[in-house]
Amino acid sequence: MKDRMLFPTCPDGEFFGRAREIDYICRRASEKPSPAIFLFGRRWTGKTETLRRVYRELFWNQAKVVPLYYQFKGYGSPEEFSEDYLKEVLKQYLAFRLRDARYVRQEISLDKLDRLLVDNDLYPLADLVAIHREARKASDTTAALRNALSSPAAVSSRSGIPVYLILDDLDKAAGPAGGKDLQLTRELMGSLTLAQTSFVASASVRVPFGGGAFNGSAEAMEMTGLDEELSASMMLDLCRLYHVDAETEILKLAANRLEGNPMYMKSLVWAASKTGQGLTTLKEFADVYTAELFDGNIGLALRSALGLSGINSLRVLHSCSVAQRPISDEELSERFRQGAGELNGIIDGLSRAGLIEVNLGSIKWAGDAAVKDFIYYVYETRVKGRSAEEVRTYLAREVLKEGFNFRSSKISVKLKDEAAEVIKAFNNQKILKILLRNQSFAARFKKGSVKGPGDEGEVHLPQTVGCFDSERLEAGEAGGPILVAHGFQNGRYDSGNEVVWMVSVKDAASPVNTGDVENFLRRSLILKENFRAARLSRWMVGREGFTAEAGKRADTEGVFSSDAVQLRIIRENLEEGSRASRKTPDRIVPVREFEVVLPSASKAELVAARAVEEIGTEMGFDDAAIGQIKAALVEACINAFEHSRLKTAKVFLRFVASADRLTIYVQNGGVDFDSPAEPLSEAPSDGLPRKRGWGFELMKGLMDEVRVERLRGGAKIVLVKYLVEKGDGRNGQEV
Amino acid sequence: MVKRYKNFKEVGETVVLYPDNYINDIEGEKLEELCTSYLERGFKKVVIDFSETDIINSIGVSVLIGMIEKVRDMNGNILFSGLKQVNYDVFSIVGLTKHIMIYETEEDAIGGNAKASGAVTTA
Repeated sequence: MKDRMLFPTCPDGEFFGRAREIDYICRRASEKPSPAIFLFGRRWTGKTETLRRVYRELFWNQAKVVPLYYQFKGYGSPEEFSEDYLKEVLKQYLAFRLRDARYVRQEISLDKLDRLLVDNDLYPLADLVAIHREARKASDTTAALRNALSSPAAVSSRSGIPVYLILDDLDKAAGPAGGKDLQLTRELMGSLTLAQTSFVASASVRVPFGGGAFNGSAEAMEMTGLDEELSASMMLDLCRLYHVDAETEILKLAANRLEGNPMYMKSLVWAASKTGQGLTTLKEFADVYTAELFDGNIGLALRSALGLSGINSLRVLHSCSVAQRPISDEELSERFRQGAGELNGIIDGLSRAGLIEVNLGSIKWAGDAAVKDFIYYVYETRVKGRSAEEVRTYLAREVLKEGFNFRSSKISVKLKDEAAEVIKAFNNQKILKILLRNQSFAARFKKGSVKGPGDEGEVHLPQTVGCFDSERLEAGEAGGPILVAHGFQNGRYDSGNEVVWMVSVKDAASPVNTGDVENFLRRSLILKENFRAARLSRWMVGREGFTAEAGKRADTEGVFSSDAVQLRIIRENLEEGSRASRKTPDRIVPVREFEVVLPSASKAELVAARAVEEIGTEMGFDDAAIGQIKAALVEACINAFEHSRLKTAKVFLRFVASADRLTIYVQNGGVDFDSPAEPLSEAPSDGLPRKRGWGFELMKGLMDEVRVERLRGGAKIVLVKYLVEKGDGRNGQEV
Repeated sequence: MVKRYKNFKEVGETVVLYPDNYINDIEGEKLEELCTSYLERGFKKVVIDFSETDIINSIGVSVLIGMIEKVRDMNGNILFSGLKQVNYDVFSIVGLTKHIMIYETEEDAIGGNAKASGAVTTA
């Protein structure tokens, strides 16, 4: 088999989440006219990997453009750049024409390249080599530069196929001192503008040449870190590969701390593997992270990339990294007693490194959290003289605290789910009215004299038959959706007893205020139009309770009000009542998670079906429900594979088994899944159903909830099936 | 005369096809080819017995719709039997149950018993 390797890239199994960008650039490359694209992103967000994969795709899988990849490295002189650039252009064209990847990888001398061009009858291109030699001999920098920069156009004219330039690390073209090679940057931008060569160029900073402009029209693409789900999937895969024990929640936390930066995340897993540690607890993560940041790959990479030359530069950087707001250059000058010249030099350097953003004298931190931690470490040890161990201890403590908060915030997301659970558990039961009146509850709780049901009485709850959120009914409304539950009062299923509960949930650190109450009153009034026949009950739930005025207003309007504590008590009471009425033994079902990664292989979806059969059986779903879940999951997997951009792409499945439901997340690394809104195939003429486009309708028909969540770098289908205890005949049906 | 093979059985002018446990594009196309070959040989009635079929995916469904169309174009008759509950649900969602006779067993389908459409096995 022929060797098809071009520029080095990481193994496919370790590359995640950039399929959309690769696909977009490749698609735009072959368009006429092809637009210029500037790809911006912080260090190590995967720009080079992405561009090299674009090159590989264009090299092997199309013939509309000749791809030429060039990575700027920061040169000693424009002459050296000219020779290097010319050689790359010529040998890559030879490689493309002769379909021989070796020319891309090998270092070829100018003499040999000259011979190869002549041997292949590419005389006009061989002339470029001759012109280059003449220019160097005459020490004519401008001629050498222009000759090299015109080489892509010469290739295009010789081959008759337009050239597509892939320029990596464009910001390094300015040289290590920034602006030192003004001639190079001016000529380069001029050649890109005048030659109308199509290109994509990556840079770590938004203004690669400190204001030097490209005069054509261009698109800007921002390459941010991978999102939390994708990052966690990537890390989980790597953990499996390197035999590191891991917990999804900790990986999500790590992804959050590392802002989805692929290099950091890989380094973290490698470090855990190397030291034999796991990533299953917060403490383990804090240990691995701080060690990696100070002495590991991340620290090493940051040390060399940031190039913190002087102590003043470090001071300025530290000030910017800890400042809550942008700082002015005057403020910095005063703080560090530095002259304008020196300070400007420092600011320029830090700005070029992408660590700060300068805007009209206002300086803002632009680095990521890991860089900030690293700067803190270097500053505390070098400037303040603290020991490495002391700083490590402090940072580990911060990581633990942040991780704890992160977990708490994750838990708080569940308030709405908890409210929905409570509504579903109403089941014709009664609860103390005080649990639905926050002001009374708070007053009595404060006084420490909670009285029984006597003076407040009880509320008779309906039997609910379904609960959904109002998103579809009020698409344009700001604020979170309102939960809507249908039910019947008094155990009678007739229109006279039909009732609708509307529940607003405020899951924030501040109490419900009068504005929230007014907003809910307005929205519920409009929403009620959808359910005219039914009697309306309104309920507001606020994690932090209600302000006095809001509580009063809610009471006046007959709106029930509860905080998180009341909600929990209601839930416990309802569950207790429900258990007592069913006379079934109490059981605690913890939430369990399973993860399966499907390779791109024939019938791989059946592996998922088998897995869910096991999980579903264990949870107590009956055969009919298991059959429905399997069929829906197969559809979701097929859809995920179909829309993965890479042929070797995997599909990630996460099964979350909780007490009352099975939730399945199906995620790919490609573009969006099909959605029901997409055009469907036409129906056959004889009244038979249409042939294609049934995937989503099947999923929706077979599951209780189906939704698609768009993610950066892909999409995720979420399938939910509720569990109803065996024997009541409703297992797998809508509840 | 009854001829029974692994994937099909000939009963007079009727052929019974037994698809695999998973009907996707590949299995669906095999089934379609088999069906077409029988129609070309003059068989007028095709029974597809799904007793062994656990899952039919949406592509499998689309192939089956194509088969029904083809059989009808050739003035044949196509019937289903032995559907598991989930497969009945799938056909019901796409609306196929309104267009095709579904029998509990292949014998019922071959014999053309009246008990059809919605009469399903609940495996």
